Amino acid sequence: MNATAVESRSGEVPSGLDRSPLLEIEDLRISIASDGSSFEVVKGVALTVCENEIVCLVGESGCGKSMTALSVMGLLPRGIAKVTGGRIAFEGRSLLSLQKRELRRLRADSISMIFQDPITSLDPVFPIGSVLEEVIRSHRDVSRAEAREIAVRALMEAELPDAADRLDSYPHQLSGGMRQRVMIALAIALDPKLLIADEPTTALDVTVQAQILENLRARQREREMGMLLITHDLAVVASVADRVAVMYAGEIVEEAPVDELFSDPQHPYTQGLIRSLPDISVSKGSLHSIPGRVPPPQVPPPGCLFAPRCEHALDLCWEASPELSRDGAKSLRCYNAQPFEIG
Amino acid sequence: MKRTASRLAYTVIVLFVSSIAVFYAIRLSGGDATAAALPGSATEEFREEFRDRLGLNEPIYQQYFTYMGRILSGDPGNSLTNNKALTDMLTEHGRNSLILGGTAFGLVFLVGIPLGILASLRRNSWADQGIMSLSTVAMAVPNFWLALLAVWLFASTLGWLPSAGCCGTKQLILPAVVLAFEGIALTVRMTRSAMIESQNSDYVRTLRAGGLSEWRITCKHVLRNALIPIISLAGLRIGQIVGYALIVETIFGWPGLGQVLVNAVLRRDYPVAQFFSLVLVALVVLGNWLADTGYTIANPRLRKST
Repeated sequence: MNATAVESRSGEVPSGLDRSPLLEIEDLRISIASDGSSFEVVKGVALTVCENEIVCLVGESGCGKSMTALSVMGLLPRGIAKVTGGRIAFEGRSLLSLQKRELRRLRADSISMIFQDPITSLDPVFPIGSVLEEVIRSHRDVSRAEAREIAVRALMEAELPDAADRLDSYPHQLSGGMRQRVMIALAIALDPKLLIADEPTTALDVTVQAQILENLRARQREREMGMLLITHDLAVVASVADRVAVMYAGEIVEEAPVDELFSDPQHPYTQGLIRSLPDISVSKGSLHSIPGRVPPPQVPPPGCLFAPRCEHALDLCWEASPELSRDGAKSLRCYNAQPFEIG
Repeated sequence: MKRTASRLAYTVIVLFVSSIAVFYAIRLSGGDATAAALPGSATEEFREEFRDRLGLNEPIYQQYFTYMGRILSGDPGNSLTNNKALTDMLTEHGRNSLILGGTAFGLVFLVGIPLGILASLRRNSWADQGIMSLSTVAMAVPNFWLALLAVWLFASTLGWLPSAGCCGTKQLILPAVVLAFEGIALTVRMTRSAMIESQNSDYVRTLRAGGLSEWRITCKHVLRNALIPIISLAGLRIGQIVGYALIVETIFGWPGLGQVLVNAVLRRDYPVAQFFSLVLVALVVLGNWLADTGYTIANPRLRKST
């Protein structure tokens, strides 16, 4: 896939910034503590998701995108990671200052989350229907029969084959793709306003990936949900995103509407990612890769975090960290952005 | 259920093989059966005749088949020392052992699981650290020493409980606790680690994301998942209790199967030693089968898929 592949989607949905914001993350900082020392893995992330828009958070493993997502749900692994600063607001309400009880009420009901590995994400000793029922009844005052009805409807919307007959199935009786559909059903059963999907297709077969993605997008459109999709797969981004935020080493380095990001990437890291996409029209030659490695979060370099890998780095880049500067619908964290050339 | 049935067949095979092993082991252990049954003044001629009468001069395999035939027909014979019917001894001492072993088995889980849960919920608190250090000590202490210590402390020094005897509640407490001690310690550790593993699992994160209360997740989902490994080790606990019963019953003068067996071996009372060894083997094997059945019930992945 390359820049031209996204053209077909341009103009289908207007860019999100004119709608009312659902999720606003400002200057979010998350630290991980291990062996007595602690270091920042999310360094001042700012992100907004509006109603009826899909925002993709892209970055390589360990860049802090999953931590960002988990912190919205209040599900950071206890005793290991914690939010040390910033603000997360859902419909204007600060999530970080909520009581446990209030946060629990929001989960699944207003904000849902789908995880990466459907194989381990479902309780193996209970039938899927009983878990769905349990989640539904913990938020709605309905009878078991009504809860089952809601559950079946959700499973059907998630396109699980023979949904009604599957309620008594145990997770081990379902394939990975089917389990991810159960996870989707669990996430959409209560009509949440915001859906966070953390690499929802990474663990699945390529063919199933496309179906699951298609299904997620269909549910998002018909419910006008806001959706935060976390992925490292630019092909996924190109096919579903409205807006894209690129994350590197715990910082957002660039944000733009999807078409502009692919056609005119500004940040050298984004440019490198797009250049690294395999091009099927070229049959020979080695694949492009970004030189160097991600700096270890324990000892970040003094200036721009990408400077050690950047071919355009100036002296300034080694000394000071650029701020994220906003220009209309786009933002960029770079002192020396160069025009994009493919290849 | 297929798994349960095949396990049952396996159990029968194990019983058969162990009956051979027990039979031969006792024959090979040396000593003379006549020493137990006959007075020291008996003549060698009389002794020979006695061995003949018991069939001890026949080839061992023949003795084995004769013996198994008698067991399967329900008459395993009599003791050489006091001529009591073995079946009567089994009923009488088996009951005592069942009371002691059953109590110990109950203690292992009724004390071990709640303590393990407590330790897992209050991880790294003083309660957790106390429970864990105590269980480490409990696993390291040999139970014959623990038995002596218990007798010294609670019977001799404090005078709260009798040091030996049968078969009231007061006499039961010390041997049952000593017998259960190591099992409790192992169950505590097992429960704690199984609970913690379950709490850190992806499916618990899913349930949290579903907005279920922490209490509900712990009591229903975490505990239910943690039970699987705990049950899987129940069979080992049964074997442990049966094995330790030999020591504990002897020390506390509890007239159970273990004590009878130890005495029979010391006196070269073949029929008793042989029969009660087999009974204990059968108990262990059947206990394992029961535990395995429980494991199959607890773990839906092992049930036949629909």
